[in-house]
Amino acid sequence: MTNTADVVVIGGGAIGASVAFALARRGASVTLLDASTPGRATSASAGGLWSLGESLGLGCGVILHTAQQGAGDGPAPLPRTLMDFLWASNLRFPSLAAELRTLCGIDIEAEAATGLLYLVYDEEQERHASRIIEWAGSDHGAVEKWAPQHIRDRDPLITHDLRSAIHFPGDNQVNPMLLTEALKRGACAKGARYLAEARVRALRCSNGRIVAVESDKGTIACGAVVNAAGAWGAQIARLAGIEIPIQPVRGQIICTEALRPGTLRSNLSTRDCYILQKAHGEVIIGSTTEYCDFNTEVRYEDMCSLAAGAIRAVPALRKVTLKRAWAGLRPGTPDELPILGAAAELENFFHATGGFRTGIVAAPLTGEVVAASVLGQTPEFPIEPFLASRFQRIYV
Amino acid sequence: MTPPAIVIIGGGPAGMSAAVAAATQGLSCTIIDEGFALGGQIYRKPTNPERAPAPHPRGEQLRAEVAKLAQQIQVRNGDNVWGIFDELRVAVTSPDQHTELLQPQALILAPGAHELVPPFPGWTLPGVMTPGAAQILIKTMGVAPGKRVLLAGTGPFLLAVACQLVDAGVHVVAVLEASSRPAWLSLPLHGFRTPEILAEGLAYLSKLDRAHVPVRYGRIVVAAQGETELNAVEHAPVDAEWFPDNNRIETEQVDTLLVGYGFVPRLQLAQMAGCNLELRPDVGGWIPIRDRNLATSVAGIFAAGDGAGVAGSLVAALEGQLAGMAAARFLGAIDEATFAAARDSIEQELARLKPLRRALDKISALQPGLMSLVRDDTIVCRCEEVTWREAREAVCAGSTTYRSLKMTSRAGMGACQGRFCWPFLSRLVAAEAKCSLADIGPPSARPPLGPITLGALAPEPRDK
Repeated sequence: MTNTADVVVIGGGAIGASVAFALARRGASVTLLDASTPGRATSASAGGLWSLGESLGLGCGVILHTAQQGAGDGPAPLPRTLMDFLWASNLRFPSLAAELRTLCGIDIEAEAATGLLYLVYDEEQERHASRIIEWAGSDHGAVEKWAPQHIRDRDPLITHDLRSAIHFPGDNQVNPMLLTEALKRGACAKGARYLAEARVRALRCSNGRIVAVESDKGTIACGAVVNAAGAWGAQIARLAGIEIPIQPVRGQIICTEALRPGTLRSNLSTRDCYILQKAHGEVIIGSTTEYCDFNTEVRYEDMCSLAAGAIRAVPALRKVTLKRAWAGLRPGTPDELPILGAAAELENFFHATGGFRTGIVAAPLTGEVVAASVLGQTPEFPIEPFLASRFQRIYV
Repeated sequence: MTPPAIVIIGGGPAGMSAAVAAATQGLSCTIIDEGFALGGQIYRKPTNPERAPAPHPRGEQLRAEVAKLAQQIQVRNGDNVWGIFDELRVAVTSPDQHTELLQPQALILAPGAHELVPPFPGWTLPGVMTPGAAQILIKTMGVAPGKRVLLAGTGPFLLAVACQLVDAGVHVVAVLEASSRPAWLSLPLHGFRTPEILAEGLAYLSKLDRAHVPVRYGRIVVAAQGETELNAVEHAPVDAEWFPDNNRIETEQVDTLLVGYGFVPRLQLAQMAGCNLELRPDVGGWIPIRDRNLATSVAGIFAAGDGAGVAGSLVAALEGQLAGMAAARFLGAIDEATFAAARDSIEQELARLKPLRRALDKISALQPGLMSLVRDDTIVCRCEEVTWREAREAVCAGSTTYRSLKMTSRAGMGACQGRFCWPFLSRLVAAEAKCSLADIGPPSARPPLGPITLGALAPEPRDK
């Protein structure tokens, strides 16, 4: 086994796997280092591909900085750049799913027609809803307002006690674990090396470059390093003497026993929670958004409020058996945009972290643009708004 | 209502003894037990007393002692403890899905153990069950599990269940004990201080002998046959490491196979409470680390009985007493001298039981040959119906921990949270990946441990 690689990717979540896949597909020799850390966001994720829903600040996708500003009728949207980035990434899922199925036989369960419904319960939300439609604009699919009867016809289990809903036809879902596994295996099929349980201990630097990565599975001499360590991204950057403002943001999730597939056709987002049924039949209800360091415990009170929110949206869930509760740590940044691309301080160190609530939907395009930057090619989507250097401009 | 000073989870010998010991010191206790009556598995109370055999006298006595202290001991039967949250908050849900958070000053965990069944071809066929499941049928309802029954596995529990089946008039074809006859014949050397237990064992053997039930040592079940239900069992002699000799397979026509290779401590509550754990295969696997007073690493939480290391009902009752006294001491209800005196006498009795217990643990220790039975298409995770081929492929691709194997193969992702599959699956993974059981770790414990509905977390508004 060789202990050199063109590129070492640190982090085996959806982002790291996607970067490794994109690099390997471009012919680079890649080593992907994984460490199964409790609370990893990919494993905890529900797998919603809500490129619009999340960037527009729907429901419980309460966006931190705007929520903290106390905006009037609900949170304001994130910058247009992110929405466009996520939209472009989301569009890649159908072809990526086909490619991965051929390459490694894994169906990533990318569903094309679930769509996302944002349930509008009251007048205040109604005002927020009309602004959302305006923000979404016309170039992101046919976002439209649905009347209660239309909602009932499509998804009869949704509460009748609502005013309307906004339908986002392009916001579907995927199985995040299978996505990651398929990307990993796809990368390996293209020649990448995957090392499990390989926690990174040190980054060896010399003359403004990282020359080797020291891990539990040995030291790897390398030409470049990608930091895809998610919520642990700041810790990895610190090994290279670099500070980036990544903070873990806990999300608690509850999940029901498997119900007949198709029991819920749409993904739902409400003021209290989101609700989606996975291909396997389980209904996932999430999630909290809270700073609590690296604590991955589940709180009783939060389980209760998620359950209450889900029952409000889909009353039939009251009698359904709860299977499991868990928590994951999202990589949060102060402006809620990811941190991608070259680190200014070291010439061969690249970031691919800070995906916050949208790491899964962003994974395909993130892999592409980061791989292109590492190899000195022009990324197909401008990466400048996501460079870590933006924080120096703002905070220094 | 004021919360009880002590909440005891589990109403078997350990839980009942703990409640009696603590309540005798004037402390209020609540025992929460999932069964419909106190007793646990070993002292299970019949629901159908006319047909079921008479309950065990030691169980009757403990139930009577608890009943005498009804002023201090509240008993909640049929309730489901599904989570322990910070600050000793215990989430309990009743069968009508009413949920309460109890917050005692001390917590005694006495959840017992569950049975250990290795995966082998055909083990998921209807008609294959555990000795404990058959025992529940007989003890509570007086119902026979089948007409022609074969028992297989290891340990004295098989003999006890075989005798109960004989008493219930069931045709027991044979008992297959994996360990060798010479190993069992050496037991009296270790049990001379506990003649009453040896006598109990001999009584089982002579009862089976009178009923013409052969006990065949050094044999294991290698496969169960049947299309839609069990109709035959293949078994073979084994070597010292329990590897079967496949040239000497015998086939037995039976409709019921009871398989049990000992017990696994029910660890999940201790794990969820944040107790430090250690791996002790000799007593069943991962257990909470305890000090001399049975205190875990979390202040105010004590652990007693098989749930903290499998040692049987006599040890469990003694540990329960000690945990009850230790909790009383922790809460200041007794002074150190009183406590130390009580502990000394309990420890003496525990020491008397120990040599025989140790010898039994050694005889029944799982051997690697048992892990050689799985085939590619054998299901290794029953909840998610994952085959060994699927799990092994995930292991080969680098998933060598519970967490990563669960993510890639779904093994252990079901409602049981890996409780039933992981004791064996972890051994299979360790052998395949050439790593240690300690590296692989126990499955994580997540709420809810028992089934509750979403409605149990969201009470309906009263005005509706």
